[in-house]
Amino acid sequence: MSKLAPPRRRRWPYRLRLLRRNPLVTLGAVIVLLYSLAALAAPLLAPHPPLTQYLEERLEPPSAQFPLGLDQLGRDIFSRLLFGARLSLMIGLVVVVIAGVLGTVVGMAAGFAGGRVDHALMRVTDIFFAFPSLILAMAIAAALGPSLTNAMIAIAMVTWPVYARLSRAQTLVLVRREFLEAARAVGAGDLRILTRHVLPNALSPLVVQASFNMGDAILIAAGLSFIGFGAHPPTPEWGVMVSEGRDYITTQWWVPTFPGLAILMAVTGFNLLGDGIRDMLDPRLRRAG
Amino acid sequence: MRIRIAAVVMLVGVLLAPQAPSRAATASDTLVYVNDISDMISLDPAVAYEFSGVLVAQNLYDTLVAFEGEDLTTLKPRLAQSWRIRDGGDVWQIVFQLRPGVKFSTGRPVTAKAVAFSFDRVIALNKSPAFLFKDIGGMKEGDTIAVGSDTVVVSLPKTSSPQAFLSVLTFTVGAIVDPDEAMAHQSGSDRGEAWLRNHSAGTGPYMLDRWDPESRAVLVANPNYWGPKPRLSRVIIQHVPESSTQKFMLESGDADIAADLTPEQVLDLASKPGVMSQDGKLLQLVYVGMNVKQPPLDNVKVREAVRWSIDYDGIIRSLLRGGARKVQTIVPEGLFGFNSSAPFQQDISKAKALLAEAGVGGGFTVEMLVPTGPAPGGPKWADIAAKIQSDLAKAGIKVEIKETVQAQLLGVYRAQKGQMVMILWGPDFPDPDGNATPFSDYAAHSIAWRNQYNDTAAATLAKQAALEPDLTKRRTLYKQLTDKVLHEGPYIVLYQPTKRFGLRQNVQGFVWNPMAYAEFRTVSK
Amino acid sequence: MGLVLLGVSVLTFFIAHVVPADPVLAALGEHAREDQIRSYRHAYGLDRPVGVQYLIYVHRLLAGDFGISIRTRRPVAEDLGEFLPATVELGGTAWLVALLLGIPAGILSAIYKDRIFDHLARIGSLIGASMPVFWLGLLLLGSFYYRLRWLPGPGRLDISAIPPPPRTGLLLIDSALAGDGVVFWSALRHLVLPGLTLGLFSTAVIARMTRSAMLEVLYQDYIRTARAKGLAGARVVLRHALRNAMIPTLTIVGISFGNLLSGAVLTETVFAWPGLGRYATTSAISLDFPAVMGVTIVAAVIYTTINLVIDLLYARLDPRVRYE
Repeated sequence: MSKLAPPRRRRWPYRLRLLRRNPLVTLGAVIVLLYSLAALAAPLLAPHPPLTQYLEERLEPPSAQFPLGLDQLGRDIFSRLLFGARLSLMIGLVVVVIAGVLGTVVGMAAGFAGGRVDHALMRVTDIFFAFPSLILAMAIAAALGPSLTNAMIAIAMVTWPVYARLSRAQTLVLVRREFLEAARAVGAGDLRILTRHVLPNALSPLVVQASFNMGDAILIAAGLSFIGFGAHPPTPEWGVMVSEGRDYITTQWWVPTFPGLAILMAVTGFNLLGDGIRDMLDPRLRRAG
Repeated sequence: MRIRIAAVVMLVGVLLAPQAPSRAATASDTLVYVNDISDMISLDPAVAYEFSGVLVAQNLYDTLVAFEGEDLTTLKPRLAQSWRIRDGGDVWQIVFQLRPGVKFSTGRPVTAKAVAFSFDRVIALNKSPAFLFKDIGGMKEGDTIAVGSDTVVVSLPKTSSPQAFLSVLTFTVGAIVDPDEAMAHQSGSDRGEAWLRNHSAGTGPYMLDRWDPESRAVLVANPNYWGPKPRLSRVIIQHVPESSTQKFMLESGDADIAADLTPEQVLDLASKPGVMSQDGKLLQLVYVGMNVKQPPLDNVKVREAVRWSIDYDGIIRSLLRGGARKVQTIVPEGLFGFNSSAPFQQDISKAKALLAEAGVGGGFTVEMLVPTGPAPGGPKWADIAAKIQSDLAKAGIKVEIKETVQAQLLGVYRAQKGQMVMILWGPDFPDPDGNATPFSDYAAHSIAWRNQYNDTAAATLAKQAALEPDLTKRRTLYKQLTDKVLHEGPYIVLYQPTKRFGLRQNVQGFVWNPMAYAEFRTVSK
Repeated sequence: MGLVLLGVSVLTFFIAHVVPADPVLAALGEHAREDQIRSYRHAYGLDRPVGVQYLIYVHRLLAGDFGISIRTRRPVAEDLGEFLPATVELGGTAWLVALLLGIPAGILSAIYKDRIFDHLARIGSLIGASMPVFWLGLLLLGSFYYRLRWLPGPGRLDISAIPPPPRTGLLLIDSALAGDGVVFWSALRHLVLPGLTLGLFSTAVIARMTRSAMLEVLYQDYIRTARAKGLAGARVVLRHALRNAMIPTLTIVGISFGNLLSGAVLTETVFAWPGLGRYATTSAISLDFPAVMGVTIVAAVIYTTINLVIDLLYARLDPRVRYE
C-alpha cells in the first residue's frame, strides 16, 4: 500500500516552528482560540443574562458591574457580545460546512469527469461569480424571508463557487499523478479514488479557504443583519447590535462601538489564521507572504 | 514624488479645513424640515398615500373642506365656501359652492369642472387612496357633477355616511388638480399621473420646485395663492433617515425642524441652546393583535391574562419617555367617541390566576411578529417587543419575537396566519368609524378579520354607530362597542403615540395635524 | 459572457419567484382591498404561469425594459438611471482611493520588507480587510462629522447647495460643466467619508496583493541580476519589477470592484447616499422584486464587464496570455 501513498507531507513539528516564527499568525490563533472559548463558555462567563433588561439603568456607561455599558433596553453589552460570539461562530461553521461540501463536491466532480460535465459545472460557478456577493446574498435572503437561517443559506450560496474552483484545480492536477494511475490499476472505483486519494491531497487549499471563509461569513452575516436581512432583535447578533445602537453614536458611543469591535477582531483572527495555515501548508507562498 | 505628496497633503488639508461660519443658520426665507422621506413615491394627490408624500401634497393642493390645526371635529371651508347635505331620494347629495376668484398656480381659474375632473380622476386611476372614494363614499366615476362654473354636486348612495365622506374630503385624496395642466402632460391614458408624480398643478400655498428621490423635495411659494401669503417663500424637505443626524443638524442650525427624533434625543434637546421641542398629536394606536383561532389565544381568559401581564406604564415611561398616552380602547383620543377607560396595568398574580382558570397555568409559547425600524413615538419596534417579551415571561408566557419587514408581516397578518402581531393603525379619515369598523367588523376584511375575531354583535354595533345621525346616541353606541372589544376582542392596545419634533427656537407657527401632516404656510422664523 | 448573462437572468428570476411572501400585498400595504390586489396581480402579470413570466421577462429585458417597480410604480430602468450616477460617483472615488493608496503601499511594503513601514502596512491592510464597512462608516461619521465637525455628514450635498441641471448625474462633473464651484466643493467634501469607508477594504486587498506580487518578482533572477549589475534600487523596481508585479494585482483590482458594489449597499445605508445600494435595500425590504432583479442584473453586468476589460488588459501586459 505504501507505494500508492502520495508524496509525504511535511511533519508537524516543522510547521509549528514556522508558526512560532510568525507572531501575527500566533496572534490570529490566539484570537480564534479565545473567541471560540468565549462562544462555548458564554453562559459561564457572562455576568448577566443576554436578554435581561435593567430598564431603569438603560444606556449607562461602562462600569465595574457592566464592563462595556448597557444598551438601549438596559441589557449588559458585554454579556450580549459573549452570546453573540456563539451565534457568529455557528454562522461561520454552518456556512463553511454547507459551502465547503457543496463546492468541493461540485469541483471534484467537474475536475474528475472533465469534458461536458466539467464545462457545464464551471459555467454555473461563473454565473455565481458574476454577482457581487452581498447583493446576491441580499436578494436571496429577501426572497427566502429575512432570518438568520436564511442568511446562512444565502451566504453559503454566494461562497461555495470558490471551493468549487479550488477543488477542481486540485483534482485536475492530482488526477494526472501516478499514484492515482496506480490506484486505478489495482481496481479502485471512482468514488474510492476521489474520497481516499484525491480529497485528502486536495485538502490543504480548502482548509485555507475555510479559514478565510469563516471570516467572510461572519462579515457578510453582520452586514446582512445590519440592513435587516439577517438575525432579528432581540438576538444578540453583532450586526444587529451595531444597527440597533447607531442612533446612540453621538450620545452613548459604547452601544454601537463594542459590537463592531467584536466583529473586527473575530474576522481579523480568522484572516490571520488563514494566512498562517497557508504559509505552513504551502512553503512556496511563504516567501511572498 | 515629493511634489505630489505635497499636493496630496494640501488637498487633504483644504478638505479638512473647518468651514467658514456656514454653521450659522438656514437662509432666512427658507424652512428646512428634516425627515425620513424614503416612503415618498408620488406627489400626485390621487396616488400619494404615504406619510411623506401626503405631507408634501397637502401643501401643494387645497381640498374643498378642511380641518384646521388640531381640531378634527369642525369642518372649515377651503375651496368650497359653503356646502349642504340634501336628501336626493335614493341618494345623498352634497352641494358645494366654490370660493370665487381662486386660481391654480398655473394661472387658470378653479371651476366646478376641475372638481369633477379631480374626483373622477382618483376613481379612474384606482391607486392606493381611491378606496376612500369608492368604499367609504361608495362613489363611481360620474357621481360628481358640475352645475354651472361654481357649484358641484356629489351623489352618494344611502349606505354611505355623508359626514364620513366630508371628513375624507379633508385628506389629499380630495385635492383639486388643474385639469388642463394634467391633461396637457398626459401620457397614454394616465390623466397626467406620471407627470404629476414630481410636478404640481394645484391651488395650495406652495408649488413643487423639484423632488430628488431619496434626497429632498423643494417647495416654493405659489404667487397665485388665494389666501394669506405663506410667511416663508421656500420649504426644503430634506431626506435624513438617521435620527441622530437629524438631531445634529438641528443643533448646528442646518435644519429648522427635525421630525423623527427618538425620545432620548428630545429629552437631550432641553439642555441645548437655541433649540426646543414641540409635541404633535397623532391618531395612531400601537397594538398587538391576537389571533383568536390560535390556541390558547382562543380563550378569552388567556387574552385577558396577556393584557394583565404587560407593564403599559413602564413602556410609556422608559421606552417612550412619556411621549405617548395610555389608551386601551380601539378609538383614539381626538376622535369622536373616544373612550378613556384604561383598566389594564401589570398584575402578574391576576394574570397567572386567569391562566390557571383557562387551564394553561404552566404557561405557553407564542410567536409575535414585529415590524422593523422605529415605532411611532420613537423607540424601535423590536425594543418594545423585547419589553413585552420580558413582561409576559413573568406570567410564564414565552414569546418568540419574529422581527419581519413590514411587507412580509402584512402578508402573514392578512392571511390570518399570525399568532400575535404588533403593529400600528391610523384611521384613514378622522371619524371613529375609521377605527370601529376595521377593528370590530369581521366582514370588512380588515383588522378583525386578520385576527379571526368574528363577533356579530360587535359588527352590528359598529354599523349602527357609523350611520347614527344623533350624536348623543352615536356616542353611547361607541361607548358600548369600545367597552365590549376592550375585554372580549383580540387586541392589546399599548399606547397612542405623540409626535415629538425638535425645532430651532426662532421657528413659530408650526402646527401639526393629528392626521399626520403639517401645513407650512403659517410657519415663520 | 453571453452565456453567463443568460444564467444571471435565470438565477435572478428564479430567486424572485421562489418568494414565499406576496409582493403585491407588500406594494399595496395595510389598507388595500381585495379587488385592488387582484387587478394589481393581473397588471404585473403575476397571475400567469412562471415559464411564461420568464419568457416575457427576458423578452423585455433584451429591449432594456426591466419592468415596473412595485414600490415606486415607475419603470425600474428609470429608477436605475436615477440612482446609478450617485453610486458611480461614490464607487469611482472609492476605487481611486484604493488604487492611489493600495498600490503605493504595497510597493513600498515590498521594497522595505520587514522594516517598520512594512509591518505597519501589513497590520493596516489586515485590519482593513477584516473591517465591517457599516461600522467603520458609523465611526467616521461619529468622529469627523459629529465630534470634530471637519467634514459634512450624510447625503451628497449640503442643504443650501442646489444641484445643477443633471447632464451626467455625476455631481462633480455636472457642477464643473456648469461652472458651479460651490456645488463642486460641497459634493467633493461629501465624498470624502463615504469614499474612504467604501475604499478601505479594496485598499487593503490591493495593498496585500501588490506586496506579494512585488516580492515574488523582486526575488526572481533577472531582478537580482539587474541589481548585481549595479542598477540603482529605485530604477530596478520601476523599470523591471513593477510591470510584472502589476499582472496579478490587476486581477485583484477587478475582483475588488465586486467588493465595492457589495460594500456600496452598506455604505450608502450609513451615509444616506441616494444610490443603487440604498435603492436595492429599500426595494428588497418592500419585496419589490422587479427592482431587486434590476439592480442585481445591472450589478452583475457591470462587474462582468469590468472583469472582461481586466482580462483584456491582462493580455496586453502579459505576453504569455493571448486572447483570440
